[in-house]
Amino acid sequence: MNLAEGVQLVSLGLLSFMMLGAALGVVLLTNVVYSAFLLGGTFISAAGIYLLLNADFVATAQVLIYVGAVNVLIIFAIMLVNKRQDFAPLPKAWIRKSATAVVCLGLFSLLTTMVLVTPWNLSAEVASADSSIIEIGKHFFTDFLLPFELASVLLLMALVGAIILARREFLPEESAVAVQQPILTLPERPRELAGVTPGSPDRTIASKPSDRNK
Amino acid sequence: MDFASLVAQLNTGTILPELIVTATLMVVVVGDLIVGRTASSRWTPYLSIIGLLAAVAALYLQWDSSNPISFLGSFNSDALSIVFRGIIALSAAVTVLMSVRYVEQSGTALAEFLTILLTATLGGMFLSGSNELVMIFVSLETLSISSYLLTGYTKRDPRSNEAALKYLLIGASSSAIFLYGSSLLYGLSGGETNLGAIAASVAQARLGESIGMVIALVFVIAGIAFKIAAVPFHQWTPDVYEGSPTPVVAFLSVGSKAAGFALAIRLLVTAFPLLTDQWQFVLTALAILSMILGNVVALAQTSMKRLLAYSSIGQAGFVMIGLVVGSQDGYASMIFYLIAYLFMNLGAFTCVILFSLRTGTDQISEYSGLYQKDPLLTLGLSICLLSLGGIPPLVGFFGKIYLFWAGWQAGAYGLVILGLITSVISIYYYIRVVKAMVVKEPQEMSEAVKNYPEVRWDLPGMRPLQVGIVLSLVATSIAGILSNPLFTLANNAVAQTPILQSAVVSRQPVVTQQQATVKLVAPELKL
Amino acid sequence: MYTYGRKRRAEHMEGIDLQQTFIRSLTELGIPSGAAKAIWMPLPMLLMIIGATVGVLVTVWLERKISAAAQQRIGPEYIGPLGVLAPVADGLKLIFKEDTVPAKSDPLLFTLGPVIVVIPVFLSYLIVPFGQNLVITNVSMGVLLWISLSSVVPIGLLMSGYASNNKYSLLGGLRAAAQSISYEIPLALAVLAVAMMSNSLSTVDIVDQQSGYGILGWNIWRQPIGFLIFWIAALAECERIPFDLPEAEEELVAGYQTEYSGMKFALFYLGSYVNLVLSALLVAVLYLGGWESPIPTSLLANLAGVSETSAWLEIVDAAVGITMTLLKAYFLVFIAILLRWTVPRVRIDQLLDLGWKFLLPVSLVNLLLTAALKIAFPVAFGG
Repeated sequence: MNLAEGVQLVSLGLLSFMMLGAALGVVLLTNVVYSAFLLGGTFISAAGIYLLLNADFVATAQVLIYVGAVNVLIIFAIMLVNKRQDFAPLPKAWIRKSATAVVCLGLFSLLTTMVLVTPWNLSAEVASADSSIIEIGKHFFTDFLLPFELASVLLLMALVGAIILARREFLPEESAVAVQQPILTLPERPRELAGVTPGSPDRTIASKPSDRNK
Repeated sequence: MDFASLVAQLNTGTILPELIVTATLMVVVVGDLIVGRTASSRWTPYLSIIGLLAAVAALYLQWDSSNPISFLGSFNSDALSIVFRGIIALSAAVTVLMSVRYVEQSGTALAEFLTILLTATLGGMFLSGSNELVMIFVSLETLSISSYLLTGYTKRDPRSNEAALKYLLIGASSSAIFLYGSSLLYGLSGGETNLGAIAASVAQARLGESIGMVIALVFVIAGIAFKIAAVPFHQWTPDVYEGSPTPVVAFLSVGSKAAGFALAIRLLVTAFPLLTDQWQFVLTALAILSMILGNVVALAQTSMKRLLAYSSIGQAGFVMIGLVVGSQDGYASMIFYLIAYLFMNLGAFTCVILFSLRTGTDQISEYSGLYQKDPLLTLGLSICLLSLGGIPPLVGFFGKIYLFWAGWQAGAYGLVILGLITSVISIYYYIRVVKAMVVKEPQEMSEAVKNYPEVRWDLPGMRPLQVGIVLSLVATSIAGILSNPLFTLANNAVAQTPILQSAVVSRQPVVTQQQATVKLVAPELKL
Repeated sequence: MYTYGRKRRAEHMEGIDLQQTFIRSLTELGIPSGAAKAIWMPLPMLLMIIGATVGVLVTVWLERKISAAAQQRIGPEYIGPLGVLAPVADGLKLIFKEDTVPAKSDPLLFTLGPVIVVIPVFLSYLIVPFGQNLVITNVSMGVLLWISLSSVVPIGLLMSGYASNNKYSLLGGLRAAAQSISYEIPLALAVLAVAMMSNSLSTVDIVDQQSGYGILGWNIWRQPIGFLIFWIAALAECERIPFDLPEAEEELVAGYQTEYSGMKFALFYLGSYVNLVLSALLVAVLYLGGWESPIPTSLLANLAGVSETSAWLEIVDAAVGITMTLLKAYFLVFIAILLRWTVPRVRIDQLLDLGWKFLLPVSLVNLLLTAALKIAFPVAFGG
């Protein structure tokens, strides 16, 4: 084994360890902020593994998109909803936890067996690092042209949708729509909840007048 | 490959209907931006309908296309996909009809609603024809993400928020599972994304019945079953259907479901030819569970939207019978039933929307005595519900008969009998609504119906609703009696689709072998 | 088409190759070549870290002197000749200062935050070229690597903002992240236009594509809009005035740095100045011809009748290259400092409006325009 291979092996071990550790941390830690930061660690380690596979464009894109955009947005959301809420411990929570663990372990062993048993159809060709971006570009404009173009429609629509959900609505005066339902709600009245006396209209959160024009 | 030869190979004409839809949605979104919200709401819905109908017309022109494969194998515009794309586009057109008044009354912007709806339609249409894993995933996500947005469109209503969040979370995880299955397919085939190439290369590597393929199959089916809301992947359905704007529910229950079925047929038939028995077994289980659970739980519902949600789960179970039997008639009956379902279910939803717009409720008990106040609404809802239940002269009856007949022919006796039993159950809860509406005594009339506003069709946005009701009423009742063109259409669609032909043929080797032995035996007998 | 830059490089023999020379001399001493490579590997990185730090010291000194001049003061004078040792004294003070951690903070994240801010900035120096071979790695991702590394920085800022357990810190961290995300998009689009012209993302190829015509070949003439967008966005990414909202004193005390002191504060301080120098270097590389001098050295050599392959010319070439890159970069730093005392700080909504409603559409138009020009005039726009 020469130097390069040794370095690669050590990096692979290190990155896998980081990735698994960070991923377990994301799932198991109770502090959601730690989970969010560790998610970034998982993404970075994945980028490192891509780099070892000579997929440098994918690695860079992984850092740029997942760490730089997705993870930052997740952390952003967590910071903006900085509501500390202590959940009452569920009775017999260990049953759920152990059931989850059993299911996860079962799935893990199934997939591991599958990976080990299957004679994978590996290509002997070594991916060239230098021209990956050119290859990807060629694919985008030949055999993956249609999905590439459809993705642009998807992104446009996601943009429009995000703005619709996030924008502050201009709410007309209450009197203008008094005969109808409160604005931006379903026309169907909510069902009466169990244990609530029927007949009182403002029962749910939305139909409280004070909440309408926040 | 230079530009000119690439353009020549793309065969862009096959996606003309989708291009029309894309152009329509661009015009709607940009036009709304330019002329403003109030001015645009006068023409955008009609433009969308025209665009969708033009897309259907373009689909019709492609019917006998000799070269359906386009975009270097990404998209397959065969007869099967044309029928499904037509169903999806039509369902979107009817959804636009019923949404004009609804969206206006809820105070949300109409043009954006239409844009997202058209994008969802686009995603569904592409999904029906996609022939390659990347294309499948991108179009699936286009459909799904637009559906999440539509679900949460009435954003100040906590029910809508809850529905959108539930749909998003469950949808995202099911997409992830589907993607895992697809990545296994990619890996097992040694780096192929085209469905046909996957099947060929997996068969060549003798991995056809390996554990990896089975896991891929299960994961892929889980993703599809979420889209068509088959039990046990249905948990999102009732809550999402109750909390979403009703036109969205109508589209989800018809358009989105049809896209899911199109994906199911193409993916399972093309990519898993060696696991046919396995996927049919899994789908049989899903069909049984869906029929039982959907129809039984629907009995206990008090809200009309939830009732229709559970009924749509049950209906998906019926449709799956056609998919499971895998014969030519099975596929044809499935297509026929989906067309019938398009009219009757959308008709029912149009009536429910009209009722809730006039009274502000969708409780079944509030429908009592509606006959005396609004005969047209009562007639429309009754016909559509009876058709959903499968009462003879209506289109739903013929659809069910064809499905069950195809199942019986293929020897799925248990499934057909179960289908019959659950149909009877479903008739009970449909009739319950009809019975409530036509009660005679005034004292049995509900509060909502007593305060029923005067029927006025000249309010803005009401005319499209009326058109929608009348159209679906006519289609549901006439198409039952004159169902022959639809039968021909469904049968031709299956007959002209190469993938279904080869699938049916490959399923018959045992039979042909038997025939061959009989033929061999016969001469000996003569001797 | 895309091999254009590489071919050019192969054609006229590159300048000096330190790595080859170093390894050859070590192997001549009897050390196996693998080990020689291993010894070589950390050297350029070490050199770069030292260089970056020294660059920061110079920049801090410049900032003080130029700020003083802008306000008609003298600035640091007694610490060393003309006060050049003032930044060193600052650094020493910060190193020996007590390292405090606020009582109710999250100590782990509090420490990790500045580290995550600084590491990507230093790593980005990997791709800054000072000559044909004077670059640590000529990776094909080049500029994209820098963009993606700089997108990690907001995580560190959010982390330190959250861990300080201080509302000003949190707000500062959130602002920094929002700002960084908003301005990354126009930045990347401006870079994309340059990459489109040079058919490569590698910084060396980008400079090669500008070479040959001296100052006339620089990208700034072909990408004037892109240059402005890039410079504005780069200033915003560095959180320089007029975009220093995350640490706006009047509103947020010192933003995410409020609770920091000692070495951890020094890391933020260092990071921000390293980032400034880095941005200036990249502007020089992308738009101002990198190591190329305004009048091509080969032209001068030809005039003087010196052969292009002579050894001392290569050394002069390399020296001119390094000097040119640094000169251009420090000229940009100078402009940044002048801007600091010229332009008032924008409000947060103005900042986001500028990013999303102005720079983003303009940079998209710029990209389209570049693509159109590339098709129309392939000679001038790297077709």
